[in-house]
Amino acid sequence: MTHHHNYTITKDGQLLIKKMESDQVETVWDRHAAQQPQCGFCDLGLSCRICAMGPCRVDPFGEGPQQGVCGADADIIVARNLCRMIAAGAAAHSDHGRDLVEVLAEVAENKAPGYAITDTEKLNRVAAEYGIAADGKTPEQVAGELAHAMQEDFGTRKKELALVTRAPEKRQQLWRKLNIMPRGIDRETSEAMHRTHMGVDNGWQSLLLHGLRNALSDGWGGSMIATEVSDILFGTPKPAPTKVNAGVLKADQVNVVVHGHNPVVSEMVMAACQDPEMTKLAEEKGAKGINLCGLCCTGNELLMRHGIPMAGNHLMTELIIATGAIEMMIVDYQCIMPALSKVAACYHTKMISTSDKARFPGMEHVEFHPDNARKKAYDVVKAAIENFANRGETYIPVEPLDAVGGFSVEAVVGALGGTPEPLLDAIKAGKIRGAAGIVGCNNPKIKHDYGHVTLTKRLIENDILVVDTGCAAVATAKAGFKVADAISHAGPGLKEVCGSLGIPPVLHFGSCVDNVRILVLAAALANALGTDISDLPLAGAAPEWYSEKAVSIGAYVVASGIYTVLGPMPPIAGSMNVVELLTKGLGEVVGATFAVEPDPEKAAVLIRGHIENQRRKLGLDATEV
Amino acid sequence: MKQVIVHPERCVGCMQCMLACAAAHSKTGALISAISESPRPKPRIHVGAGLYDEGFPNRCRHCNPAPCQMACLPGAIYRQTTTNTVLINPDVCINCASCAMACPYGVIRYHADPLGPAGKTIAVKCDNCIARQHKGLIPACVEVCKVGALTFEEMDAAMKKKTDQVARSMSAEAIAADHAPGFSLLNTIKRAQKEINLSR
Repeated sequence: MTHHHNYTITKDGQLLIKKMESDQVETVWDRHAAQQPQCGFCDLGLSCRICAMGPCRVDPFGEGPQQGVCGADADIIVARNLCRMIAAGAAAHSDHGRDLVEVLAEVAENKAPGYAITDTEKLNRVAAEYGIAADGKTPEQVAGELAHAMQEDFGTRKKELALVTRAPEKRQQLWRKLNIMPRGIDRETSEAMHRTHMGVDNGWQSLLLHGLRNALSDGWGGSMIATEVSDILFGTPKPAPTKVNAGVLKADQVNVVVHGHNPVVSEMVMAACQDPEMTKLAEEKGAKGINLCGLCCTGNELLMRHGIPMAGNHLMTELIIATGAIEMMIVDYQCIMPALSKVAACYHTKMISTSDKARFPGMEHVEFHPDNARKKAYDVVKAAIENFANRGETYIPVEPLDAVGGFSVEAVVGALGGTPEPLLDAIKAGKIRGAAGIVGCNNPKIKHDYGHVTLTKRLIENDILVVDTGCAAVATAKAGFKVADAISHAGPGLKEVCGSLGIPPVLHFGSCVDNVRILVLAAALANALGTDISDLPLAGAAPEWYSEKAVSIGAYVVASGIYTVLGPMPPIAGSMNVVELLTKGLGEVVGATFAVEPDPEKAAVLIRGHIENQRRKLGLDATEV
Repeated sequence: MKQVIVHPERCVGCMQCMLACAAAHSKTGALISAISESPRPKPRIHVGAGLYDEGFPNRCRHCNPAPCQMACLPGAIYRQTTTNTVLINPDVCINCASCAMACPYGVIRYHADPLGPAGKTIAVKCDNCIARQHKGLIPACVEVCKVGALTFEEMDAAMKKKTDQVARSMSAEAIAADHAPGFSLLNTIKRAQKEINLSR
């Protein structure tokens, strides 16, 4: 017996869970319940499956073994496991970035029909950062050289990644001093796997430091390249209206949903869906048109650049299929539950996997590569149109809500008149107390969207500007915080500033790789003040995170100097030394720490307190929290 | 009356029951906080390793008559007949270890316990989670066991189930059903490894 109100705060979620219950289709919450109670050893980070002398675990109550077969104690086992989580997360973002660089290289060689350089200005700007002069060259030539230079960032030839120069000078010096300056994107992940192999790095502190370096290779490397190259290829986002929640599906149109992370596939699917020929075909089949919607981050990518409506975030991905209104879901990779095709099998929805890296049981595999993506996109959209005839009953439970997306750093700075100064002035004047980045996933351990929405609500009430990405960004949009009128939820100062700029108090910064936009903005603010990121009144939060990518993101945000509050506890409680280091000791090392607080009400108090403390240290007016 | 029944052939040796037991007998009742309590709670069920390193969850059998109860000099050990549970009164226990010497299963431990008098070392063993049972919960070790090595059922029904299982295996044409071929394979390999080591 499900209790849908306990699972999600969203109306569409509740109604669709109810429907899945009556359709007798299993959901992620059912599977989560079946997994209870979850393994305490793993939950504490005290189990190790790294070698075949094991598997081993350490008894936290002291009765059983206190060391693995190799002699690794709780500290080493926890640190090794955490490092491997970071490595997996960084690897995911690194691969995502690499796929875009590959497209950039093929565009340069004219081998990727359908793809083009959209933002030449940004291409030249990023190329300059890589020491590539654009004058006298065609954009394709510049793109070719830039792709080549970026590929070197992935390897072993460099001492430092190119884009770390975006960080404040003080921060770069600190990374050099600590020996955690990222050298190569894949190198750091590879080294993390090496260090965590049995018999290599058995210093839990040095392991964790490398974990930070590995995470930095994601934040200032893999993810940053992913975002920048996506902007170059598909356009740098500008604020634009869009619609959100399950109501974006249309009962009288062919609904095509893209799910995953990489715009390489979804951009081509969008192009095919928008082709008048395809619309005509859909009309011949009795539909009023083709309605493309997004899920998760690939949805965020399309929303940011083209205002494509957003059907939902991670925990909505199964539910959305239960509407019975989706002709086709096209997935690429990351965060795609293998359960989806089981759900789809209960309705008429066709599931298509597209990446050579990611297969799923029960999905039809149509492999997209830069050279054939355009053609493949037409093939699958045609098949989606064909599938319209098979549609049965549909249930679209809610009306869509308005939202505004598309706040790239360029757009934000543009809205401020070309410099971050007005934002700094508002912070100095105390109208805006500070800013918080709310990021990360959903996790069935936390009531769906409750963490994101509650924390955001409390922060904007307290005049803290919120920027968000990923699943968090979808949650707050669905809660109605992403329209200009949402300033009614904000405190007086934030209301005034956002009101005068005509922007919402919560800015959609994009997908999960777009967390680097937060880094870039934070660095720009620090540089404008001539200080370090760790001195600013900023905070990060991942109230409902689940994925290894989120661990990497959290680690690079903290290593960049931003205090970060996690909702769910990472698997580290088995080592109080590690907990102590991450929640206290790191402050001495990188000027920022982690905190864990599953209750968003309390997390808001922590963040408000931190921001006021930061203000006090800067000599600005500050309140006791 | 339901009782905890051990099915040793199903135990995969994960020690989850030990963690759940220690957490259930802690002050805070939750694993994350229990690990930093003082005195540290300890499990009252103990997973041992068999001849071939297979797991075996060893817990108090609540014998009747109970040798530990007969051996207890101050009379701290008594039986709660309603739940068929042998219990130790921590205030009366004098920490003499007579019960442990009498116990054929080695399931009694001596330590200061979060639920006993502060700072006093006492005899501690499984109490069938009667505190949880009063709240309508089943014993913690059973709740956490994912493989059915520990079940909480009426003894008669359990006996009937076992009888049918044996009967089915005796049917003509019966093929021994292997419900977990992977687990059987693992045990076969463990056994082979052990035997090779013993024969060299």
